[in-house]
Amino acid sequence: MALAMHVHPLDKHLRVKRLPTIFCSGCGIGIALSAMLRALDKRISEGSVNPNKVLWVSGIGCSGRAVLYLNYDVAHVLHGRAIPFAIGAVLANPELKAVVLGGDGDIAAIGGNHLIHAAKRNFDMVVVMITNFIYAMTGGQVAPTTPYGVYTTTTPAGNPEYPLNVIKLVGALNANYVARASVTTPHLIEQYFYKALAMRGFRFIEVVATCPEMFGRHIGLRDSVEMFSELKKRVVYRHRPSLEEAMIDWEKGIVIGEFVERNNPSFIELLRGVKK
Amino acid sequence: MFSVGGVVSRSNNKFRVNVIVDRCKECGLCIFICPTKVLVRSGVMNRYGYYPPDPVFIDKCVGCKLCEYVCPDFAIFIEKV
Amino acid sequence: MRRAFATGNFAVAEGAMTAGLRFYAGYPITPSSEIFEYLAEELPKRGGVVVQMEDEIASINAVIGASWAGAKAMTATSGPGFSLMAEAIGLAVITETPVVIVNVMRAGPSTGAPTKTSQSDVFQARWASHGDYIVPVYAPWSVQEAYDLTIKAFNTAELLRTPVILLSDATIAHLWESLTIYDRGEVEVIERKIPKKVSDEPYPPHKPDEDLVPPMPIFGAGFKALVESLLHDEWGHYSPTNSVYHSLVKRLVDKVVKRLSYVYEQETRFCEDAEVLLVSYGSTARTVYLVIKELRKRGVRAGFLRLKTLWPLDEERIRSCCPNAKKVIVVENNIGKIYMDMSRIFRNQDVFPASVLSLELPTPSEVLEAVEPWL
Ligand SMILES: Cc1ncc(C[n+]2csc(CCOP(=O)(O)OP(=O)(O)O)c2C)c(N)n1
Ligand code: SF4
Ligand code: SF4
Repeated sequence: MALAMHVHPLDKHLRVKRLPTIFCSGCGIGIALSAMLRALDKRISEGSVNPNKVLWVSGIGCSGRAVLYLNYDVAHVLHGRAIPFAIGAVLANPELKAVVLGGDGDIAAIGGNHLIHAAKRNFDMVVVMITNFIYAMTGGQVAPTTPYGVYTTTTPAGNPEYPLNVIKLVGALNANYVARASVTTPHLIEQYFYKALAMRGFRFIEVVATCPEMFGRHIGLRDSVEMFSELKKRVVYRHRPSLEEAMIDWEKGIVIGEFVERNNPSFIELLRGVKK
Repeated sequence: MFSVGGVVSRSNNKFRVNVIVDRCKECGLCIFICPTKVLVRSGVMNRYGYYPPDPVFIDKCVGCKLCEYVCPDFAIFIEKV
Repeated sequence: MRRAFATGNFAVAEGAMTAGLRFYAGYPITPSSEIFEYLAEELPKRGGVVVQMEDEIASINAVIGASWAGAKAMTATSGPGFSLMAEAIGLAVITETPVVIVNVMRAGPSTGAPTKTSQSDVFQARWASHGDYIVPVYAPWSVQEAYDLTIKAFNTAELLRTPVILLSDATIAHLWESLTIYDRGEVEVIERKIPKKVSDEPYPPHKPDEDLVPPMPIFGAGFKALVESLLHDEWGHYSPTNSVYHSLVKRLVDKVVKRLSYVYEQETRFCEDAEVLLVSYGSTARTVYLVIKELRKRGVRAGFLRLKTLWPLDEERIRSCCPNAKKVIVVENNIGKIYMDMSRIFRNQDVFPASVLSLELPTPSEVLEAVEPWL
């Protein structure tokens, strides 16, 4: 029945036949995805984004799987390598609007060097990193963002490392936009992504997400609603916070907001300037 | 209440709450987030074995769309009637 | 057409541009860097893009992305960088992405001897990445052939939607010879198939045509491409079943094997009367050719088989190239690798390894010394 095919307002952006997603019940990735699609939908309907030029690229991980449900040009490539893949695509066809989506392991651990250099170049792309504090797809190993002391399957005595603050890292580079939202604030994900879509240069959004299945299990919050409400309690919104304020600490709080907003020429603009 | 093509809908005089039954994974986030407590877990299982929400107290729906925004599975949405 | 006096590295860059190169990403490494540097000067003038990435992993992944955006794309590197590209070669295989990877071989293992020549990566070129697949590998023996085989590498990549490896080495890279550079229209240049139109209905984008190659739904054209590194069916959907596994892996292999007569090239000389066949390839074949001429002067009926394609091999053509040869001697600048293929292929002859492990192009006396014990 045609009615059943496209019912949800976001269905036209989805490969609906592939639904339901592989994500666990209550997984935050889907919340982030739907917020991003609402923003994209707005951009498309106001005419500022051509859907045929949108390219979604992801690496490997639960977060990376999200692009496979999108009714756009999508690429699910190697673990950690979504950013360079997207760089090649955009350089070959600068009309493409590339969005890279990945987990914090994908983007900031194995892909960390690419992240640094893409931000340093102010490369023309939006990167959305889903921080769920764990390596979820592989079964709950320690991630760069795992809080200190937390049990994971590869840190059975507790994580001996302090987590990486990726906002501070990217903010210290030449990125035009650096923001953090949470799946407990979907309207902010939508707002930030909407803004990022129309900006130039490197745009980075960290989305703090719930993973009841892996991280939740490790910290005793296996229930979706409990995990969600515990994250919600920890999230603090600030208006235009500084990078120093960009705390992400499971015990002390997680500051969300727009940390950096610049309007520097992008890599491709600079490349074109140099060409003359 | 009516059900078409796997969508269960209930409306008050302003808003309609629609649940795409077979997309729901019963996480309960919509029920939790709803400020006026419109939604209740239904007693009817979907094809994957989950119990989707049922907008039983539809009269209280204020159309805030928080359930639509929090649903990770594109399974619930609100329309103006 | 124009004539130039050029190095092998220059020839590779020119060949790539003749073939229609539009995107190059790389990371500097001896002895390949001149390809990068020359393209950085030239390609932007011809409307292409050249970019230095943060490492070879980024370079090859960017090249694959660029190819999906519709550009003919290439990277060049040497041993250590090629090792870093291994995983992405498999990505190009499973996503059926036409790309050309130039490996200018230097001596290893590890950092080895950056400025010195070698042929030790001939097996790595075939099997760098995990999984089952066939990647075509070409090995030029002259500056002109570096040019010609670069064009062939692009054509093979586009025709079969596959990564292709051009195995040069430090000797060819820095050798100066005369070179004929062709204009567009003077040589065959193949372009990938793309779907004829954007379909309104969902369609299986990985469904092959009769040649086993699916048209490539490049980005930005409305095709809603689904590039998938996971094992996938014709829709691009992940499907870890034996039937999907068999049909994908077999098709990826068969599409290359089916065009073996196009992919595989060799050259033979003096084979009509030859009793002993010397097999070689790449730079070392230059010396072997001289040695064969010397041996024939001495009355040894030596024949010459030079492989231009190192993988896949046309075993039938190799086996039948020199019908009267009783002995086969394989001369190569490594511990004896293609020798293993030849001893398998020449089942009815005696096959001997004549390895010359040298940091320079093997000299005629070194080759003679390696060959003579078997004559
Ligand atoms: C080169 C390589 N190493 C390791 C893996 C295995 N692997 C798959 S996903 C993953 C990490 C997932 O964590 P993250 O990127 O944070 O994503 P999440 O699943 O948490 O969303 C790893 C290590 C791989 N696919 N490739
Ligand atoms: S393991 Fe965690 S991140 Fe992965 S789908 Fe499940 S809840 Fe989501
Ligand atoms: S939020 Fe969505 S998936 Fe979760 S219970 Fe409600 S309708 Fe079902």
